[in-house]
This record gives sequence, structure tokens and C-alpha cells, in this order.
Amino acid sequence: MDKKRKSIIITVIMAVLLLVLSGWCILKPADEFSDSERRVLAQKPEMTAESIFSTSFMTGFEEYAMDQFPARESFRKLKAFNEFNVFNKKDNNGIYKAEGHLSKIEYPLQYDMLEYAAGKFKYLYDTYMMGKENTVYLSVIPDKNMYLAEPNGFISLDYNELIEYFTEEMDYAKYIDITDTLSLDDYYKTDTHWKQECLVDTAKVLGEGMDADVHSDYDICTLEEPFCGVYTGQYTLPVEPDVISYLTNETLEKCKVTIYDSGMPEESFVYDMEKAHSKDPYEMFLSGTVALMTLENPYGPQDKELIVFRDSFGSSLVPLLAEGYGKITLVDIRYIQSGMLGSFIEFEDQDVLFLYSTSLLNYSMALK
Amino acid sequence: MVFSGIPFLYYFLPAALLLYFAVPKQLKNGALLAASLVFYAWGEPKYVFLMMGTIVMGYVFGILIEKHKGTDGAKLWLVLSVICSAAVLCYFKYADFFIENFNAATGMSIPFLRIALPVGISFYTFQLLSYLIDVYRGDTAAQRNFINLAAYISMFPQLVAGPIVRYSDVRDRLENRAHSFEDIAWGIRRFVIGLSKKVLIANSLAELCDVFRASAEPSVMFYWIYAVTFTLYIYFDFSGYSDMAIGLGRILGFKFMENFNYPYISKSITEFWRRWHISLGSWFRDYVYIPLGGNRRSRPRWFLNIFIVWMLTGFWHGAEWTFVVWGLYFAVILVAEKLFLSKMLDKIGPFSHIYAVFLVTIGFVVFNASDLGQAVSDISYMFGRGDLPVVTAETMYYLKSYLVILAAAVIGATPLPKKIITAIGRNSAGQKIADIAESVFLVAMVLLATAYLVDGSFNPFLYFRF
Repeated sequence: MDKKRKSIIITVIMAVLLLVLSGWCILKPADEFSDSERRVLAQKPEMTAESIFSTSFMTGFEEYAMDQFPARESFRKLKAFNEFNVFNKKDNNGIYKAEGHLSKIEYPLQYDMLEYAAGKFKYLYDTYMMGKENTVYLSVIPDKNMYLAEPNGFISLDYNELIEYFTEEMDYAKYIDITDTLSLDDYYKTDTHWKQECLVDTAKVLGEGMDADVHSDYDICTLEEPFCGVYTGQYTLPVEPDVISYLTNETLEKCKVTIYDSGMPEESFVYDMEKAHSKDPYEMFLSGTVALMTLENPYGPQDKELIVFRDSFGSSLVPLLAEGYGKITLVDIRYIQSGMLGSFIEFEDQDVLFLYSTSLLNYSMALK
Repeated sequence: MVFSGIPFLYYFLPAALLLYFAVPKQLKNGALLAASLVFYAWGEPKYVFLMMGTIVMGYVFGILIEKHKGTDGAKLWLVLSVICSAAVLCYFKYADFFIENFNAATGMSIPFLRIALPVGISFYTFQLLSYLIDVYRGDTAAQRNFINLAAYISMFPQLVAGPIVRYSDVRDRLENRAHSFEDIAWGIRRFVIGLSKKVLIANSLAELCDVFRASAEPSVMFYWIYAVTFTLYIYFDFSGYSDMAIGLGRILGFKFMENFNYPYISKSITEFWRRWHISLGSWFRDYVYIPLGGNRRSRPRWFLNIFIVWMLTGFWHGAEWTFVVWGLYFAVILVAEKLFLSKMLDKIGPFSHIYAVFLVTIGFVVFNASDLGQAVSDISYMFGRGDLPVVTAETMYYLKSYLVILAAAVIGATPLPKKIITAIGRNSAGQKIADIAESVFLVAMVLLATAYLVDGSFNPFLYFRF
């Protein structure tokens, strides 16, 4: 091929590629939400003299251009494929696959975060529980890297160090170890969370630790829709989806769930079937992200109450503690200021359980 | 705006090229200037006025210097223009550095000015100075067309990170340039290679450097991996940008000077500096070192000249002592090579290559340190200070994870890939395959780089801060 002809071919091919992608960028209608990443996508910023001179327009446009790029999901797949199969990287954006599980590297221990979380818990204890007849418990939920990372050559947190840190800092709480009740199979393959149907023994250990009888028999129900957990979209390459199962029995069916997030009590369900068909079906467990809620068991011991400070892992576990209590109050201080709790909860003689995952404790800035 | 960004690749560049090739020949420099101002304003709208003011100043001084050619007036205007340009550069880039050190020396507490550094100010100031000095020397005529001069200084391909293009190198093409498919295709190839170097290699290496800095279990080996990774990163980052700039320049009809020539195959530091950031090295040689007398003076004065040039070279990179020390570090080695080392290096054959790479790597550890304390600390840990373990699980994890990229970077920093491609093209069958494969390769690289950009990977340009 002569040089000129070759140059014309290269020029034409590259010009067409550039113009097609450019035109597609300009003409493509903006998407609002990325299902795979479960996040709102950036929209075109408003162009004003102020936004230009403050450069907020440019920053916003750069985010918009990346978020709204045509065939974005395919490009993300291409990148992930190249990272894993050509560059032989062990993870892509921190997400890795081992033993059929997707997980996110949690590393290293962030001591400032641990300190922050311990400080928040101490504040709660000092403000609401000290001098009262509350009995305080602590349990730490290991993320699945504890069972997945090291055996497969990935780095992970020093879990013993983390647990030791909290047991020392929270000397006002009795520690209940649940790590021996769990294994890799107790977690969803595509999600960070644990499976409720595998938590009966874990709930028993917690119940025994708090001197509450939570033994019960359950029926297992399974959702028909496949469950593509939070890591599916982040991993981008094809993976087998999970299924969500949930445990139920007569007690749970009779439990009364009340949510206080709007300021007015709102009745809800142990299993919110509307959310079971939403973008994040795990939110079906106690309606997902809720700041303050109660679960009342009419068949439970009415003189026994439990207050659980928890993250999303608690949503699937706490129903399994219902048998042992007349009332359980669930508090997620990521969504409510710790200082405001006194207006909603009267701390007297309840059991109080701090139940948090290692992932949250190691990135605890969301605690208020 | 950075070349390796979606807004540049898929919004600015198509629009700028369409405008540029659509307008008639006499309006091309105007179109180039307009595009360059938009490009610059994207990152720093208010500093467009500073750049335009600097260009107006250079335009007026150029004419005044030429008008008084052969008289003391020309020298006066040149000195005045150099002082003005240096003053603008010092104010925006070095003011807080001087204040900090003045306060430290005197115990005073003069408040800092805290001025944001205008992007590319070191590059365009040096281009303007080269123009004015060349006019004074009579090497070139003053540019009477303001648009042409402004298009030269602000030309977006090399505006913010070089190479430092001499006016005399582009003067003819500024006024009269032809465009050909050969030039455009050459420019496309070069741009795509630079984009791939930057997005696929340099950004990954930058991630590894960041991982090292956040390490929970540092080890001696991790310090060495960091040193090697940063040395490779800065080459792929900066040479990738230079490739893109040179490629874009060629598409627009200009031929910019090469900025890198496989610096890591050097067998001495003298050779390294002939291959690394060539446009800056030659600028200092032609406008500082030679006017100071170069090597035509007494030996002490010659060495003093070397120290002055290398201190300025270091200082050009930033208002930090680390850069000054980095420059002086090379001055010491260069003097040592001139005195006795080069003869020894000739005798040790391939070991001279290890010597050069080792010293360059140590130099870049100093270069990338946040301050001199960190530089000393990093280097001492590399040589076993304290009780750091030799290797940790974290070190091994990241070494394994980045091994392919590191290996690709090491090979890519040598002429080996180019030699292989040239060898394939030598026989006709290989040439035919290469002809077809080249287009496929270029498209694949653009799509792959786009995939990395769309996924929002780490994308800094180190040389933007200079």
C-alpha cells in the first residue's frame, strides 16, 4: 500500500470514529440513573457567567461527559476485561472475584475511622446509658473478605486487631463473638451483605450472649427475581446472580413494624415486598435504609426490650432476634443525629446492642 | 482541559479541527487562537487575561527590540522584557516560596499571597522569552501580525505542558503551512500512541504510587517498587503528553521538536539529559548556559555555569526546595562525569546503564517528595533504615497486580517495540499485515483509552503544575 493511500485510510477511519462518537455524545439523551452502579448520573450543568468563572461549569461538564458517554456500560466492561485479562490485575477499582464471589478490597485499617466510630459510641453511652440500668453489648460483623481474601491471595483488614480495638475502647459493653458462626457461604456472591437464611445460628449466639431466648423455627421463602448485588455493576463483567431468601414464621407475621423517619409513626412490614422488586432488593429487610424504627412482638416477653445501633447488616438479622423481646428499636445513626435520640427513645433498662459491620467501622465518617 | 479527557477528545477536539479545516488559509491562525483561548479558559478562565496580557507585552517588546536593533536601546528593551516576564512568573509561581523562606530566615511573618498557579505559565513564558531573545540576536524578525504571535504562544497542543516550541522553529509554518494526509496520519498515530501511554500506562503507574503512599505495611521492597514505578510513571506521563502535543501539532501543520528520546537507555547522566525533556534542556543551553560562557571559560567558571543552569532547571519545575536539590544533584553528577566519571563509565560497559538508571531513579524520588524530609526518609528506607521488613504481603499483592503493567512500561521505555515494528515492515508480507493492523490498532487504542476515561480512572498530569 503506498504511503499516501495508507495515510488517507488512517485519516478517514479516525475522523469517522471521532465524529461518530462525538455526534453520539452530543445527540444522546441524558440518562438519569445507572442501574449497575446504583447511582444518579451527572446531568448537563447550567452555563452562566458565574458558573464559568468559578469553573463549576467545567467540573460539572466533565462529570456529565463521563457519566453520559454513549455505550458507557460497554466501555466499562471493556476496561474491566482489559484490567483482568490483559494487564492481569488482581482487582478492578478494588473489586475482585474469587471462589465465585465478588468482593471489594477492604484495606488497610483506618485507625482514624475506628477512633471516630468508637468516639460516637462512647458519646451515645455517656449521653443516654451511663448511670441507667441498660446492659450494653457489642458485636462486630466481619465482611466476607475475612473468609475470602487471604486464602485467595488478596489483602484484607486485620480483623483481630479491629475487634480488639473496639473491645478495648468499649469497655462498657460486653462483646459477643459471632465470627465462628459465619463462613463464606453465608454471604451473597454478588453483594456485600449476608444471607438471612444462614443467620439462625448467629442470632442464637447473640441471643445467648444477651440472655434472651431467640430460638424459633422458620419457613424459607425465596424471591423469584434474581438478585444482582451491589458488586455486579461495579465488577461489570458477567456473573451469575444470587437469589434472596427470607425466613418467616407466625411470630414474624404478627410483628408490628413502625418507622419514625418522617416525624410521624408509619406502619411498615418486616419484609417490604415492594422493595423486594426495587433496584436493591436487599432493602426488603426492614425497609432498608431507615433511621429509626421499632419492631414489636406481641408474643415476646413484654418486659424485655432491645435497642440496636446498627447498619444495613442489622436489617436482615434483627428479625431473628424478635422472639426474645417484646420490642426492638433499631437506630441507624448514619441517618439521624446521635444528639437527637433523646427526643425519641427513653433509655431505662433495655438491652442495648451495638451491631456493626467491619466495613462500616473502617469507613465510619457517615456516623452522625 | 487535559488531552486525556472526554471533554477534550469528544467535544473540543472535533469542534476545533472542524473549525480549523473549514476556514480559509488566511483565517487558520485566527481559528487556532480562538480554539486555544477556549482550551485554556476551560481550566483557568481568569488567567486567559494574564496570558493575553503577557502576549501583548511580548508583541510590543518584540517590535521595540527590532526597532532599536544594533543600539543600546535594543538591549534596554530586551532587559526590560526579560525583567517583566520573569516578574510575572516569579509573582505567580514563586512569591509564596520566597515569602516562606524570608519569614523562616528573618523570623518575620509576612502573610502568604496564596495565588493559584496559572496552568502552563512556565511554558508560555519561556516561549515568549525565546522569541524576544531571538529577535534581539537577529535570529528572527519581530512578528508584526499579533494574531500570528498570539497563535504561536497560546497554541493549544503545547500550551500547558510543552514541548517548549521555539518561535524560530515554527515561524515559517505560522505564516505559510501546507496540510497533507501524510502529516495528518502521522499526527494521528503519534497522538494515539501518546494517549495510550498516558491513559493505559501512566495512570496505572500513578495508582500504584498512590497505593504506596497509603501503605499500611511499608517494606524496603515497596520503597524500591515505588521508586521504579514513579520513574516509569513520570516518563510515560510526560512523554505521552509530548507525543500528543507533537501529533496534534503535525495535524495542524506544525513540526514541533522532539522532547524525549528513550532517556532510560542512557549510559550516563550527561546522555540522560540529552534524551530527557529535550526542549527545556536546549532552552537552558541556548539562553542561559552559552550566554554565561558555557565551557569556554576557566574550569571553576564552567562548573559554576553548570550549577547555575541546573539550579534554575530544578527551580523551573516548582517552588520547592526538593526541585532545587534535584537540579543541583544532577549538577554534581554532571560535573563529576566531566571531571573523571565519564572515562570510568566507558570502561564498565553495560554497568554504565545501571549506573545511569540508578541515579535517575534516586533523583526522581527526591523530585516527587513533598519536602526534603520526605525525600531523605524515602531514600533512607530504600536502603534499609529502621526495622522495615524486606517484604510484606501487601507489597507482594501490589507487585503481582501491577507486574504486567510494570513490565510493559519497562519494555515500552526502550526502543525495542519500535525495532520490532520496523523489522516486521522490512518484508513485503509483514508490511501488508502491518498496514492493515495499524488502523485496527489505532482504533482499538482509542476505544480502550476511552473505556479507561469513561470509567473515571485516575488521570492527573504531573507537568501541569510546572
